[in-house]
Amino acid sequence: MKSPAQVQELAAWLAATDIGLLELRTPDGLLRLGRSGAPGSEIVQLGTQEEGAPPAPPECVAVAPSVGVFLHAHPLHAAPLARPGERVSAGQPVGVVKIGPLLLPVPAPEAGVPIAFLVPDGQPVGWGTPLIELQAEE
Amino acid sequence: MIEVLSSAALATVQDQGRKGSLRWGVGTAGAMDNLALAAGNLLLGNDANAAAVEVPVFPFKLRFDADCAFALTGADCAARLDEAPLLPWWVHQAHAGQTLTLGLPQGGAQRGSRAMLCLAGGVDVPEVLGSRSTQLRGAFGGHEGRALRRGDVLRAVGEGQSCRTGFGLVPPGLSLPLQVDGVPAVRVLPAAEYPGFEEASRAAFWAGEWKITAQSDRYGYRLDGEALRPIAPMEMRSHGIVPGVIQVPHSGQPIIQMRDAQPSGGYPKFGTVIEADLWRLGQAPIGSRIRFIECSWDEAVAAQDEVEAWLDRVRRMVDLHRSSPRPGGR
Repeated sequence: MKSPAQVQELAAWLAATDIGLLELRTPDGLLRLGRSGAPGSEIVQLGTQEEGAPPAPPECVAVAPSVGVFLHAHPLHAAPLARPGERVSAGQPVGVVKIGPLLLPVPAPEAGVPIAFLVPDGQPVGWGTPLIELQAEE
Repeated sequence: MIEVLSSAALATVQDQGRKGSLRWGVGTAGAMDNLALAAGNLLLGNDANAAAVEVPVFPFKLRFDADCAFALTGADCAARLDEAPLLPWWVHQAHAGQTLTLGLPQGGAQRGSRAMLCLAGGVDVPEVLGSRSTQLRGAFGGHEGRALRRGDVLRAVGEGQSCRTGFGLVPPGLSLPLQVDGVPAVRVLPAAEYPGFEEASRAAFWAGEWKITAQSDRYGYRLDGEALRPIAPMEMRSHGIVPGVIQVPHSGQPIIQMRDAQPSGGYPKFGTVIEADLWRLGQAPIGSRIRFIECSWDEAVAAQDEVEAWLDRVRRMVDLHRSSPRPGGR
């Protein structure tokens, strides 16, 4: 979870914008900041409905390592990094997430065979978004 | 330690160049694709001026004899670490005993011609006149003042040290594209003798495609296109020139001075490829065609600002990522 000082800083940034709600999903949990009332009112921390009960991830899914734009292929390549039915090894990049100039790999969680792309190429995704479903090797 | 396994390599150790020595007749040398060098160094957390290996001829092979992080930028050349394919414009981890192979540049008409291999901490060679670049003409700097050959052993300053790897960048060729009618282009400032050429030649220079001939290397690119004719013959004394200067010898076929250009010459100067676009030219393969775009001083400065802004964005995002917690808490 973010420290109180970090939450305060985020709240201050949010207050300076016309954004109504900030949802920050990280490996440590979910943080929600929003307005206490009408637009322009004070920023407060909101409750997180999923506290303690995160959605159970499916069996074997490659997830977004960060917020960004999901790409099936490296921007220089036409061929996707993974194809349904073609074996990948554990940790092998099966897609990339683009954040500005930065590219982060979407690693296969285990060795296996991709079954389905859950998100189309070029779509913005949040941290932890399930992207590719795999059939893990026995 | 890293051992070069390729024989006919023509690979050289380069940093951003030996600036400030032109007055002693010492050319700048330096990476032909300075943006690839800077970006590769940023990926590794190196100083942007750290020395790297520029590879213009493929395949190129070397073996890591120690664990070492490295970044591959520049031409996308189907690199492999042992048998594993490597993503381009990416920072990777090599383990002692692994062999890195750089294959032929990929990408069809958009392919580059020089791969940049940046190593953690930079290549550990002595600084000469303020730079680690290989000065081939003077036979100093870089690794023993010459191109690398089989059996050479290089050391990376940061080998054996832990470094964040496994991420990459959108190449600047995609972020800062520049083409005319589908042909890669560079911007040019008209130079001192530009008005001394026939009007038809001046028009043809901007309107035509120019082929980069086989007589092109780190010293200069000889171009092939419609000959540029002076209104009257221009005989000049030798004078100072810099990388990017486009000279027109008697044949009328222009020569662009590149990083290893000598610092003086006597041919009339038609124009100068702006500093912000020299990296594009550095990646243009022999046999490919380029176009020229006329540009003003202000536009040249703005173009350089755009390159700096791209590097600043890269530096900021890479620093953020390198300082973020690693997946799995390691």
